Amino acid sequence: MQIEQKSWKDPVLIAMVAPLAIVMVVFFLIPLLMTAVLTFQTTQYYRLSWTWNLKIWTEVFSKPHYWTIMLRTVGMAVVCVLLCVLIAYPAAYAMATRLKSYKTQIQILIIFAFLTDAVLKTFGWILILDKNGVANWLLMHIGFPPEMLNLLFSPAGTMIGMVYNLVTYPMFTIYLSLVRIDRDLVLAAYDAGASRLRTFFEVTLPLSRPGLYSGAVLVFVLSLGAFLEPRVLGGGTSPLASELIRQSFETRVNWPLGAALTLVLIAIGALTLAVSAALTLRRRPNQRSAA
Amino acid sequence: MSPRFKNILLDTLLIGSVLVLLLFFYAPIITLVAFSFTSSRVLTLPIEGFSLQWYGELVSRPDFFPAVLNSAVVAAISMVFATAFGTAGAVAWIRYRFRLQSVFRAVTFAPLLFPQLLLGVVMLLWFSVLGNWLGFSTGLVTVVIGHVVYITPFALVIVAVQVYGFDDTLEDAARDAGATGWQVFREITFPLLWPGIFSAAIFAFLLSWGNFYVSYSLAGTARTLPIFVYSGIAVGSSPIYPALATLNLIPALLLVVTAEVFRRRALKRQSASLPSS
Amino acid sequence: MVGPIIDAADIVKDYGSARALHGVSLEVGAGEFLALVGPSGCGKTTLLKILAGFEEPTGGRLEIQGKDMRGVPAANRPTRIVFQKLALFPHKTVAENIGFPLKLQKVAKPESDSRVRAMLDLMHLKPEYLTRYPAQLSGGEQQRVALARALVSQPGVLLLDEPMSALDAKLKKSLQAELKKLHREIGTSFVLVTHDLEEAMMLADRICVMRSGHVVQIGTPADIYYRPANMFVAGFIGETNFLPVTATKTAAGATVTSPLIPGASAEIPAEHVSPALSAAGTALLVRPESTRFVKGDASPGEWVLDGEVEEYFIKGASTQYRIRVAGLPAAVVMDLPGSIVLPARVGESVRVGFQPAHAFLLSE
Repeated sequence: MQIEQKSWKDPVLIAMVAPLAIVMVVFFLIPLLMTAVLTFQTTQYYRLSWTWNLKIWTEVFSKPHYWTIMLRTVGMAVVCVLLCVLIAYPAAYAMATRLKSYKTQIQILIIFAFLTDAVLKTFGWILILDKNGVANWLLMHIGFPPEMLNLLFSPAGTMIGMVYNLVTYPMFTIYLSLVRIDRDLVLAAYDAGASRLRTFFEVTLPLSRPGLYSGAVLVFVLSLGAFLEPRVLGGGTSPLASELIRQSFETRVNWPLGAALTLVLIAIGALTLAVSAALTLRRRPNQRSAA
Repeated sequence: MSPRFKNILLDTLLIGSVLVLLLFFYAPIITLVAFSFTSSRVLTLPIEGFSLQWYGELVSRPDFFPAVLNSAVVAAISMVFATAFGTAGAVAWIRYRFRLQSVFRAVTFAPLLFPQLLLGVVMLLWFSVLGNWLGFSTGLVTVVIGHVVYITPFALVIVAVQVYGFDDTLEDAARDAGATGWQVFREITFPLLWPGIFSAAIFAFLLSWGNFYVSYSLAGTARTLPIFVYSGIAVGSSPIYPALATLNLIPALLLVVTAEVFRRRALKRQSASLPSS
Repeated sequence: MVGPIIDAADIVKDYGSARALHGVSLEVGAGEFLALVGPSGCGKTTLLKILAGFEEPTGGRLEIQGKDMRGVPAANRPTRIVFQKLALFPHKTVAENIGFPLKLQKVAKPESDSRVRAMLDLMHLKPEYLTRYPAQLSGGEQQRVALARALVSQPGVLLLDEPMSALDAKLKKSLQAELKKLHREIGTSFVLVTHDLEEAMMLADRICVMRSGHVVQIGTPADIYYRPANMFVAGFIGETNFLPVTATKTAAGATVTSPLIPGASAEIPAEHVSPALSAAGTALLVRPESTRFVKGDASPGEWVLDGEVEEYFIKGASTQYRIRVAGLPAAVVMDLPGSIVLPARVGESVRVGFQPAHAFLLSE
């Protein structure tokens, strides 16, 4: 791959980079700064008033209620990451090793499901998980007691929805890192006398770590913002951070508070990203020599 | 256990995991399609009879077609911008080196790592403040802007894969054969990047069409299809939503099938690799 | 012969602070087949890219067909290049690939079609290939399509950037023969970049040997082989022997003595003395094929070294011996005609003889 050094005086570079850069700065970076600025303001009679103080931040840090919800959100995110990775890894592995000739068909099926309207899919889960829903009906017909599962409007329902909406990401990142592994490395391990299991843990798993990590981080960060699932499938019984943020905007019309809570959540995500980036960078030298 | 049996068991488990995952992905979709043809108002099994009445009821809802139109307009415009930005961005990501490139990369990739709801909230705050100053309120335009910010990184990644695999001695070869800059682009670069750009466009359209979070935050009083559904199921379930879901699948299916046909045609002539060194 | 088709003088190329070419001068005659040879990183590909117009030289002058090429883009030069990886357009058929330069020149369709067909004929490709895509052809066929695309617009110079390096040995041999025949048939100037001096010797009229951005020697294959400018050129062609000597220049050539053969001295005729001879590191270049085992008495004028067989390799037509000689840093390499009976075994004490007057006197 030939790489072109470009100067900012080059009109081609400006034409390629500037529009996108401007959009991202004006509608993403500045809004982020704006959010930070807003947290130092207050509201009076449902109206924003420009007073620079730390009132909102003192409120955020003094109310354990917010932190209980934040902690619950992180907890749910961690569980979601574990479930997603456990589900995605074997499937990605099978796609990379056992189902090579069907890989495009499977990919298209997955992408098609991924791109289908999330609200409709979530509604579909209501129909399945409802007390009188599809799942319980099927279970009853194969001999289980009626209304055995009671998942709708519970954290379990929320979790099913979250895993459903996010498992596609690690599925693809893991798959991509698995297909990049040189098959000869696996054969070399067999040749050296390693068993299948041993080869998997000594060769395949370490080499697929980049995909595993990036998928896990993606799921974690994105699940911090889960909103539809706790609201529609969880029934609002154990609200997560997104619900808290929505309430501060819509019900309480307290923008500075909503902004502060949003920032806290972004900070949690950014911290996770930073830590994982540091870990990946530290590992990179040996990954490169092995691949 | 004999090693042979162990192998068969392992293969079965692995392949089974893919099948289970696919079943998981399609369970709500199949459920919705099945219930869309029910003749009953209650959405429980068993489905008592076949009817198309809910489709009729859906299209007779006065707010249905405006929502469809809004979604289509938003998706089409977002697709054009996200694909154009994503393509230019992908070339700049992969083929160019310039000052502040790492900043450019970070800023163009970050929305992908952002929970959509937070992205929507952050932009809503900005548009509200801007709107207060400049005297506008959120609506379809702000939805489009939100979608472009959210979707461009996806388009960028898809096109970047194509750019990365692009052999640029082909451009040198065209230049050597006497092509001008524009001819090189029209004859070589664009046709070879087209599969990536095309799938990015389809991806962008469908991502925008089905987007709830960003639209929900930024639409103001306007309604796109996902908001129509969300506000509907908040009130109570009705068989018109399964009917809507089923209708929704048709254009998506067409787009995905077209994309696949295009991809295969391109693959047929290009995939068998050139002699590599 | 009219003036040279390529006239390059003092070409300098810098990449940042690194200098890739240190003032290279080179002429290519009309209809000539010139090979640029050297180890990787010697600057040969950079020079080719400068000729093709993909790189601008930092300094120096380049004229092609008498015109200054400064600022002339690749598209407008009378050169066409065949890339190392061929760079066939995967989304265009064979006909579209070959016809591409004509399309850009807005050549009328019927004429373009007939010229594409003529190229196909010249390259011994079947007409039914016209509608195929490059991926559907074999490696050798792709090679020919690439040549056809480069030649269809009748360039003044064809540039070849190691186009055969990726092919297997047998296919390479047959394509080399075809390339030489093609050059003879069409009479276009060819400039071939290769790291394989054997290939250069087989194909080229003249060879330009390069090393770390400098031209070391330009000459016919025979010059390069028998009268190398220095030990680098001599060693590049394959295994050879250098016998350190002390030389004194005389009217008829040089007189040499070697510390390994006490008392002996030899007269080297002037045509066997490198014009670039300097005092440092003088050595006799003894080609492996001009050595023999001495059993019994040495011939008149023959120098003899005592040694021990370190290893031998049977190559069919010849047998190669490596003889360890006390006082020499590297084993002496001998290429002897092949025979059923091995002349010596590993560990055996042998005497290696050669005629110093037939050797070539050079320095580092």
